[in-house]
Amino acid sequence: MKIPDGDLLRSRVVGDLGVTLATALERRLTGYAVVEPQDAVLLGDETRGVITFTEGVPVLAYCTTSDRGGADALEDVRGPGPYSVDLYELDRSALAAAHEADGLRVSPGLPAERLTDDRDLVTRTRDAAPEDRLGGDDTDAVESFLDDESQIEAIREQAREEARTRAEEWGLTDALEES
Amino acid sequence: MVEAFAVASGKGGTGKTTSTLALGMALAEDHDVTVVDADTGMANLLFHAGLNDATVTLHDLLVEGADATVDDAVYDRFGMRVVPCGTSLAAFQAADPERLRDVVATLAADADVLLLDSPAALGSKSAVLPVVLADRTVVVLQPTIPALSDGLKVQEYARSYGTETAGTLFNRVRDDGGIDRVIDRAERYFGGETLGVVPESDDARSARAAGEPLLAHAPDSPASRAFREAASRLSVRDGASGTVADRFRSAVVPDDV
Repeated sequence: MKIPDGDLLRSRVVGDLGVTLATALERRLTGYAVVEPQDAVLLGDETRGVITFTEGVPVLAYCTTSDRGGADALEDVRGPGPYSVDLYELDRSALAAAHEADGLRVSPGLPAERLTDDRDLVTRTRDAAPEDRLGGDDTDAVESFLDDESQIEAIREQAREEARTRAEEWGLTDALEES
Repeated sequence: MVEAFAVASGKGGTGKTTSTLALGMALAEDHDVTVVDADTGMANLLFHAGLNDATVTLHDLLVEGADATVDDAVYDRFGMRVVPCGTSLAAFQAADPERLRDVVATLAADADVLLLDSPAALGSKSAVLPVVLADRTVVVLQPTIPALSDGLKVQEYARSYGTETAGTLFNRVRDDGGIDRVIDRAERYFGGETLGVVPESDDARSARAAGEPLLAHAPDSPASRAFREAASRLSVRDGASGTVADRFRSAVVPDDV
């Protein structure tokens, strides 16, 4: 993967990559982060990962050491911390070529899901992501299913009735909750 | 104190046994945990816990006139007490589900947390008993229509018996789903909180092949971390073990299946 040099915004050591992801999100950063697990620095190992962002939302992840992308790259970079992180700003057009590499892409919330314990950050990232980056057809069908409250209520009502009928068959009526 | 959780899903293939053992191992860091394979018709926990060769199982305790004691069927594994169930159809047919309540009552005396790996079915008394007997359920879901629909059903069955939902666990979640939009909607219908989102993982399959719980086999995998986080969200309520044991013993369960 080749990414043109960007403008260095900040360079620091963080204990938790959630800080980096939250910073990128809050600044609506278009650019990339270069992440090096600090233990790798100490050991002279060169594990290094790159996560790119469009308007604060992660687009792709790549580990230069293992040459793996996507979820695998996140796994390669993940460690106990701390991490040395450089955050760069770069034009969206300069990132366009790299962003065509489908094999390196991550879903918007995946870096936060894999690299932090912060569910709230996952949710905020997904909320900030454009519609076309969230989910596919399957998700749409599941959402429609859950949006149909009368259908859900029908499933529940039928299950309640079935539970009561069968409780009688099985002699479990006394264990039923009064309703 | 003891609280009994039924780990349930209406549908097979959601990774319920993997989830039960993962939650059990994570909770065992702070609690005395006993895990019971209450899926007496389709037992598989023994394979996940390396207990293929267990000589005495739950089945032996459910047969009338059995001379095995509950202790004989308890195996200390991975920091938990594990009660596997055998896989013989004949033994299942000979088993008297009524005896499950006595077994669980006995196990309750020595545990903080009882996890009942429950059948992915609601069609028989033995399948429903774990959710009848438990204090609360953990509903294992996948973000698919069949899994959510069956999860709703098992929740209603459990609630019919006064067993509320402690929380839901989305398991085997693939990278590309809009899982948060699904969760936002699912939370309207399911009780408790969303305990966690566990990614689909090859590690779960290799753990099963190795006969080890996921948390022992691949403790640092994303799925293991997600399970540990889910377990930390599950607050165990204090219940006097005597009260729980009494409740199990007094549960009205006649002897015809």
